[in-house]
Amino acid sequence: MRRRPGIGGLQTAAAARDQYRLLGENVAKLRTDLMKEQLATFRSQLEEFARKHKNDIRKNPAFRSQFHEMCAKVGVDPLASNKGFWAELLGIGDFYYELGVQIVEICLSTRPLNGGLIDLQELCKLLRQKRKHDREAVSEDDCLRAISKLKTLGSGFEVISAGKKKLVRSVPTELKKDHNEILELAQAQGYVTVDEVERRLSWTHGRAIDALDTLLDEGLAMIDDGHSDGKRRYWFPCVSSISSFGADS
Amino acid sequence: MANFFSKAEVTSSGRPVLLRSEVECHLLSSVDLEPEDHHNFSPLKSGLLILTTHRLLWLPSSSASTPTSAAAIPLPAISHIFSSKKSLKSMFHSPRIRFQVLVSPDGRVFDPGSGSGSGSGLGSRSVVLTAVVRGKGDCDGFLGKFWDSWRARAWETNETSGSGSSSVSGSGTGTGTGTGTGGGLYSSDGSVRMVGVAGILRKEQELWESTDKSLQDAFQDLNALMSKAKEMVMLAEKMRQKLLSGTNSQASATNDEDMGSKEEMQDWLLSVGIISPVTKESAGALYHQQLSRQLADFVRTPLERAGGMINLIDVYCLFNRARGTELISPDDMLQACSLWEKFDVPVMLRKFDSGVMVIQNKSHSDEEVFVRIKSLVTKPEALRSGISPSDAAMTLGIAPAMAKEHLLTAESTGLLCRDVSPDGFRFYINLFPEIDPRDVYLVKDYGICDTWIKAVSTSGLR
Repeated sequence: MRRRPGIGGLQTAAAARDQYRLLGENVAKLRTDLMKEQLATFRSQLEEFARKHKNDIRKNPAFRSQFHEMCAKVGVDPLASNKGFWAELLGIGDFYYELGVQIVEICLSTRPLNGGLIDLQELCKLLRQKRKHDREAVSEDDCLRAISKLKTLGSGFEVISAGKKKLVRSVPTELKKDHNEILELAQAQGYVTVDEVERRLSWTHGRAIDALDTLLDEGLAMIDDGHSDGKRRYWFPCVSSISSFGADS
Repeated sequence: MANFFSKAEVTSSGRPVLLRSEVECHLLSSVDLEPEDHHNFSPLKSGLLILTTHRLLWLPSSSASTPTSAAAIPLPAISHIFSSKKSLKSMFHSPRIRFQVLVSPDGRVFDPGSGSGSGSGLGSRSVVLTAVVRGKGDCDGFLGKFWDSWRARAWETNETSGSGSSSVSGSGTGTGTGTGTGGGLYSSDGSVRMVGVAGILRKEQELWESTDKSLQDAFQDLNALMSKAKEMVMLAEKMRQKLLSGTNSQASATNDEDMGSKEEMQDWLLSVGIISPVTKESAGALYHQQLSRQLADFVRTPLERAGGMINLIDVYCLFNRARGTELISPDDMLQACSLWEKFDVPVMLRKFDSGVMVIQNKSHSDEEVFVRIKSLVTKPEALRSGISPSDAAMTLGIAPAMAKEHLLTAESTGLLCRDVSPDGFRFYINLFPEIDPRDVYLVKDYGICDTWIKAVSTSGLR
């Protein structure tokens, strides 16, 4: 472009630059859209192959590693077995193992938000999102069956009932840090209420109840229902009497 | 003798360290490696023979006390594999696998990686080696895989991709050269570069058409995908790069869907891990043993992240994710963990009374915890009023249930003694070991007993 002097020249140059930029942006947008489209094809094809040729893929170690790499790079879950007749009937085959791995993965990724306690329905919903290309939707019963397969690895993963709801707990008491937070909270007054725990720590109701119940079972907390406002108080004698100690150690 | 072979690295739990994109194909146990006629090395006795896509590895068995180091023969150094002769004699012998290896002039196995051999090893001698399979391995299966790996020449494709991978984000080697303009529409100062706009657009279009075509070709059937695997992996990498960088730069254009797919991508990146998983097919009878070692190597990173102790079920998920489609069952997992007792690995399986199982570092052992508990209970405050499980939990940074477990163990070893009151359990330092049974009234002016008396008496003054 030839440079011309004067304000008019500058304005023309600016306008031209704007137009180029607009065009560039359009091309960039087009490119992203196209790429997304191709990525979608890529993904669906990979998923199809993972399902159809699973055994053939596993037979060839070198290709298997390349296939995994492809899947990992474009974000395809290579675990996509159909339930099949035998799995349905006898619970054998990879289907429930795959489901188990995916369930634990969901629990791991949501743990920062829920402290290792998740509603079974919520879990199912996330699982279906993961397996959205599955022909048949995963039922709650499938989830429970998959979880029961994990029993071999200890009781660190269990389904508990709270009222009508079913909750899945993925963090065993031995590894749970939630209790420490409640104890810290209780240091101020010597007691906490369920409301307070939910509000101050921004936890769900289920999470708070579960943690407080465990503390009751452990003998660390005591219930006081006699207060005038009618709210149950959980007293922690262990922290109130030596509140100065916890602070300096 | 060790100089004859290339050296092979082994992990702390006794698994071979593999090269980039090297995959194990078959394993045989108790194999001797002997020279046929030349005495280049003394025979290697009863070790583990591992065939990978790139090398033949021989690891000394863990039971052997002699410190023979692991040996490696690069597959490109092998000039011939003899087919097994079926004769009456061979029926009574242990099965043998014979192959010819190129030797460089300095009397070592020809190693193409070192660059010592000029050209393709022309003019160098060759030596015939024999692998005697004394164990009950699938020898014929091994020979078949040996041929396959040797013919597949995986090391060659690896070399080309090694040089190509650095430029993957720029111009893809497989799918056309136009990608170089990606992100290059603007020069570095943000103004539009003065090139033929139409030209760029046309190039862009050509690129997309060719990518479309190669996608279609590759996914026709499994064989097509296998032959184009390398190309597709690079395409996948390119797409991932672009999507990740695209959403970064165009902050205004990010909507929920974009964020979702980006998160999905990053989610998945974490799960790429074990390129060469131990499988039943490749390891045969050695499956659980090798799996156990691989798991020990794998678990160290997540264990560190979790602070020295991690739920077994969490590891089950992470390990399987890293293995891709090669799932292992919970039973195999448990068996692999229980084999750790037999090997020298830095991790251990621990069972709690509640039935919960965790994996922990050996260094994260009881002794270390006891030292910390001791320093906690000998503080003046604690000498006076003891500690509760919740105190220990907060100072040690662990869950109260866990802390209680530790305190009870410490009590049973005589480090602590308990006081049960309406406040719950409180633990004090155990003073009895310091009291001399011959003179119970003697108060030494040193030791914990003395500190305790001082601490208690000052509180009395208050």
